[in-house]
Amino acid sequence: MNLNLIKKSLSNPLALIGFLIILFIFFVAIFAPLLSTYDPDAIDVKAILLPPSFEHLMGTDGLGRDVFSRMLYGARISLLVGFVAVGISTFIGILLGAISGFYRGWIDIVIMRMVDVMLSIPTFFLILAVIAFLSPSILNIMIVIGLTSWMGVTRLVRAEFLSLRDREFVLGAQTLGANDLRLIFIHLLPNSLTPIIVSSVLGVASAVLVESGLSFLGLGVQPPQASWGNILTDGKEYIQFAWWLSFFPGLAILITVLGYNLFGEGLRDALDPRKAK
Amino acid sequence: MIPLLIGISLISFLIMHLAPGDITTTEASFNPKTSEESRQKLRQMYNLDKPVIVQYGLWLKRMSTLDFGTSFAADQRPVFWETKDKKGNITKGMIQEALPVTLFINIAGLMLTLILAIPIGVYTATKHNQWQDRLVTSAIFILYSAPGFWISLLLMYWLGVVCNLFPISGLHSLNYDLMSPWEKVTDNFKHLFLPIVIPSITGLAGVSLFVKNGMLDVLYQDYITTARAKGLSEFIVVYRHALRNALLPLITLLGLSIPGLIGGSVIAESIFAIPGMGKLFYDAVLMRNFPVIMGILTVGSALTLLGNLIADIAYAWADPRVRRGVVK
Repeated sequence: MNLNLIKKSLSNPLALIGFLIILFIFFVAIFAPLLSTYDPDAIDVKAILLPPSFEHLMGTDGLGRDVFSRMLYGARISLLVGFVAVGISTFIGILLGAISGFYRGWIDIVIMRMVDVMLSIPTFFLILAVIAFLSPSILNIMIVIGLTSWMGVTRLVRAEFLSLRDREFVLGAQTLGANDLRLIFIHLLPNSLTPIIVSSVLGVASAVLVESGLSFLGLGVQPPQASWGNILTDGKEYIQFAWWLSFFPGLAILITVLGYNLFGEGLRDALDPRKAK
Repeated sequence: MIPLLIGISLISFLIMHLAPGDITTTEASFNPKTSEESRQKLRQMYNLDKPVIVQYGLWLKRMSTLDFGTSFAADQRPVFWETKDKKGNITKGMIQEALPVTLFINIAGLMLTLILAIPIGVYTATKHNQWQDRLVTSAIFILYSAPGFWISLLLMYWLGVVCNLFPISGLHSLNYDLMSPWEKVTDNFKHLFLPIVIPSITGLAGVSLFVKNGMLDVLYQDYITTARAKGLSEFIVVYRHALRNALLPLITLLGLSIPGLIGGSVIAESIFAIPGMGKLFYDAVLMRNFPVIMGILTVGSALTLLGNLIADIAYAWADPRVRRGVVK
């Protein structure tokens, strides 16, 4: 992955839009304290369920809290969960996939069966059960999402390693005395980075969706801490009187996920030699 | 498949041991009538006094006879299938009642998704890079990124509350028992309309993008040019010759999407208050009702395996090359 590739992928207009969206969400999350117009947790009983106005850009919720400020802080949760969860799953995926593809044999069979088992358990059920037992906290959510989404990366890395393992440059390095670790991390991994990066970017999108789904069910980030998912859950209760409570958080999730999907797909197209012009 | 089942059972078993304390304390905490005696009985039933490995073995043995135990809740219903007591009264199993509901909604929804998504995918592929394709594909891509439960919530509100066209929750109206048979049918239909239609609208995005990509791979191959050169109509070329090949990978995709559908039923069923597997699981999780949780995890995974098997068979049936063993 060098600068040239980044430049090439950003020349794809869709990838560029996606990238800008991601930058924007980062900006919002980092500067949430400066941008917010109210304290996100401040309850104001005189301002319950106010529609959007210049004072409250996205209205107020059932406790009179300013939705716009809560949305800004919610961006932090969704970024944090997305990146940490994908970090964990990518780490596990690279580790297992590398072992599997490099050593082959029985260990490859064992790891691939593990992948098959994890792929046939309805993951969302698994996440729900684990979260309910371990109590829902952001840390647990990130870990559990990470631990249940490494299968794709594992298969990807394994496939890359299998196809690269017998190439001349690897055999050459081996002949020159490179040990296994060096072969894996210096020679094989850098050559399989492209698909890993694409799948990580798309993975963030799905982690954000899973987190919002968990929060929507009340098993995600716990109130009073704001997350887009739990603002939406409140919105469900008030949907007849306060559309803004369910509309804005959903829209924010959509835009974020769209950003990662556009960037990921754009990256794939730009880096795919078959599709390159 | 057998090693897979063992792996799955191991994971569902280990989850039970994640929770702090032993499971009898959990039961006692939400069923105050539990006596020390019944807790002792429960310990015996789950063999909690034996080493973990032995516990697992015994659990596996019970599982192989499809004995998932009874619910921790006060009614003590069997988790999986109906049982007869000494007086001959039949108590229906929880999964037995919930599974058909979820299966029906998901299968009907999947059919609808395919009916809508395949023509959209084909259309966008035939108009590739023209404005029609750009417009439709952009819309589909936005839909693809939207959280399904959000779209469901908004559509449910709009169609069910604002327009008041359909009931928004449950499977029956309150006066269901008083209705004539015909009214019962229409009542059921009305209640099932939103839970089936809305998820299939959100689900069609992924499928139609997949069909489009599949069609694009196929449409520029030589045999399509041959078909055109023979003078076949464009409709026959696209729908007879190209689509058949483009749909093959879709079979695998559908097989792989089963765990997602089952898992997604938690959110869908909680929005529409449908008494299916997802609702059952969600309630069980909130109450830490271990036998139900483990039962549903195992049954859900077994369903996935079954779905994958069906997908493999369907693939062989649809693709003569696989059937005759030309490609592996």
